[in-house]
Amino acid sequence: MLPEKNNIPESDEVLDDVSVDIARLKILIVDDEVTNRMVLNAMLKKDGFTVLMAENGKQAIEVFNKENPDLILMDVMMPVMDGYEATRSIKSLVGDRFVPIFFLTAMTDEKALAKCIESGGDDFLTKPFSRTILRSKIDALLRVKKIYTTLQEQHAELVYHQQYIEREHEIAERIFKRIIRSDTLNVSNIKYLLSPVALFNGDILLVSPKPKGGQHIMLGDFTGHGLSAAIGAMPVAEIFYSMTEKGYSIQDIATEINAKLHKTLPTGLFCAACIVDVDIENNKISVWNGGVPEAIAYSAKKEIKKIFKSIHLPFGVVSSNSFKNDIQIMDAEPGDRIYLYSDGLIEATDENGVMFGEDRLDLCFANNTDPAVMFEDISNSLNNFRGNKKQDDDTTLIEVSFDNNLVSNKSSYKKNSDVKEPCKWSVSFELGPEILKDMDPLPAILHVLLEVQGLYSHRGRLYTILAELYSNALEHGVLGMDSTLKTSPEGFAEYYETRQKRLETLDNGFIRINLTHEPVDGGGKLSIEYLDSGKGFDFGSYQEQKKSNVFSGRGIALVKSLCSELKYNESGNGIKAVYFWES
Amino acid sequence: MSLDTSIDGNGVVNININGRFDFNLYQEFRAAYKQVENPTGTTFLIDMSGTDYMDSSALGMLLLLRERAGGDKSNISITGCNSEIKKIFSISNFERLFDIS
Repeated sequence: MLPEKNNIPESDEVLDDVSVDIARLKILIVDDEVTNRMVLNAMLKKDGFTVLMAENGKQAIEVFNKENPDLILMDVMMPVMDGYEATRSIKSLVGDRFVPIFFLTAMTDEKALAKCIESGGDDFLTKPFSRTILRSKIDALLRVKKIYTTLQEQHAELVYHQQYIEREHEIAERIFKRIIRSDTLNVSNIKYLLSPVALFNGDILLVSPKPKGGQHIMLGDFTGHGLSAAIGAMPVAEIFYSMTEKGYSIQDIATEINAKLHKTLPTGLFCAACIVDVDIENNKISVWNGGVPEAIAYSAKKEIKKIFKSIHLPFGVVSSNSFKNDIQIMDAEPGDRIYLYSDGLIEATDENGVMFGEDRLDLCFANNTDPAVMFEDISNSLNNFRGNKKQDDDTTLIEVSFDNNLVSNKSSYKKNSDVKEPCKWSVSFELGPEILKDMDPLPAILHVLLEVQGLYSHRGRLYTILAELYSNALEHGVLGMDSTLKTSPEGFAEYYETRQKRLETLDNGFIRINLTHEPVDGGGKLSIEYLDSGKGFDFGSYQEQKKSNVFSGRGIALVKSLCSELKYNESGNGIKAVYFWES
Repeated sequence: MSLDTSIDGNGVVNININGRFDFNLYQEFRAAYKQVENPTGTTFLIDMSGTDYMDSSALGMLLLLRERAGGDKSNISITGCNSEIKKIFSISNFERLFDIS
C-alpha cells in the first residue's frame, strides 16, 4: 500500500503572474469606518480583485472561515474585536497555508506598528497612503504567497515520496531478512559480520547444510539496492537452499543461479558471488568465485594456504552457453579457516574518507597470533579504523572453519538414519495427450527419484535412462514413428518435423511410468517400467534391424549399457529397466 | 564528475569519464550512447584516464552499453584505467567482455 497523498494543501490559485486570474483572488477588507471600506473596495474592484468586507475583528474571523480569502487588509482599532486579536486568531486558523495579513492604520506610534508584526501581521502601511504603494505591496505579498504555496506543494510531494521510499525499503529489508534465514547462520563453525546497511545494499549471506554432512556457504553482492536487489535475491536463495538440500554440487548450483538471473534480471543488474563447499567426506574445500574479492584460506599454523581469486563473471551477466562453472579446490584439514568478504570491507572509509584497503587486511593476517581470534582481529581492526564514523557502506565478512565433525543437523539425513527411509515403495504416473504435447515431465519424475538418499550421485545416469525410454515410448509408441527415417541428415530433419506435427495434433494416447524401489544390501534396486499406447513393435524385426543398421537404436543400446536388465514386453509397447545402485 | 562524448570522422564514439563513475552518471552515460543511431557495429572508446573511482553500477552501465552495441559482437575498448579500476574489472572478470587497458 502506498501512503496516502493527503498532505498536499489545496491551492486555490496558481499564479504565474500576480495580474493573471486576479478576479479569482479574494481580498478581505476589515475596517469599522464605512468610508475607508468604500474607498478600498472601489480601488480593488477596479483592479479586478474580488472583495469581501467586515466591520470588526469578530466579523473578519467569520468571513475568513466562510470565504477563505487570499489576503486580508486589517485596521487596528475597531469595536468588538481589534485588529491584533483578529490577526492572532486568523493566523492560528490558517494552519499550513499562508494568508498574508496587511495592517492599514492611522497610528504612527512605533510600538503599535511593531505590535502589528508581533501579532502575526505580514506588513503595514500608515494612513493616509498612496494607492500605488498599497497596490505594489499587495502584489509583493501575493508573490510571496505564491512562492510559499509552490514550496509547500513541493515539500508535500517530497514527503510523499520519502514515505514511499521508506516503505519500499522496509519491504525490501523484510524480504531480505526472510530470505537470508538468519537462523541458518547460527552454526558453530561460522562467524559473520553483516551490517544492516549491507543488507539494504544488497549483500546476502546464505548457509545451508548438505544432506550427507558438510555445508554450502554463499556470499552474494547485488548491484542495485533495496527492493530491486531483494527481488533478485529471492530466486538466488531459493535455488541455493533447495539444490543444496537435494545434494547438488556448487557447480550445478552456480550454473542454475546464473541461468535464472540472466533470464530474469535486466541488463546492468547482476550478482557478484562466491560459493564455498565444505566437503567433510573428502576433506576438501571448493570455491566458485565470480566477482567477489578473493577468498582467503588460513591454516591453524598461521599460514595463508590458498587464495581463491575471482575467476568468473558475476551471476546474470552471460547466458548459460558462455557461463563457466570451474571451481578451485583445496585439501582441507581441521583448523583451516576460510574468509570471505564483500568489497564493502576493503572500501570502508574512516573520518577522512581514506579506505580500509587490502594492505590493512593483509596486516591483520600478518599480525595475528592466534588463528582462533583471526575473525575478531579483522573486525576490531575495522572498527578502530572507522572510529566514530557512521557506517554508510555495505560490509560483509564471514569466517568458515573447516570442521570434520560437521554433520548435518537434519536428523533424517544423518548417515545412520537409513533405516528410516522407505524400505520399499512404488509410484506411477500416467501422462495423457495434454502433458505429452506441452510439457517435459522428466524433471518432475527425476525429482521424485532424488528424494531417495543415495540416488543423487546417479542422477545423470537415471536421467539418461528416463529420457531415452521416454522418447522411445513417445516417438515410436504414442506417435507411431519409424526410426529408420533417421538414417540420413534429410531424414533426420524430416523425422523431427513429423514428430512435431504429430505431437501438435495428438488427441489421444498415453505413457504410463511405474517406478519401484526396494533396498538391497548397501544400496537399492530401482525398476523403471514404461508402457505406451502404441501398437508395439516386432521384437524379431528389431533384432534383424540391429544387425543391419548401425544408425538407429543407439538410445536403447545406451540404456542397456547403463542398466543391469532391460526387457520389452511381448507386444513391444512396454519396457522394463532395472537399475542397481550402491550408496 | 563529468562525461564528454564525441564522434570522430570514422564514426568511432569516444566517451571520456572524469571523476567518479557511478550511478549519478547514469542519465548522461545513457544519453551518450543513445545518440548513436546504429549502435551495433559501432566502435566505442571509453577513456577512463580521468576516472578516479568506479562502482558496480558503472559495471552495470557498461553492460547496458555492450548489449546495445551488439553483445558478443560489440566493439568496446576501455582505456586509461588506474590500478584500482583495473582491479575492479579484474575481480568482476570483465576483461572477457571488454577490451580493457
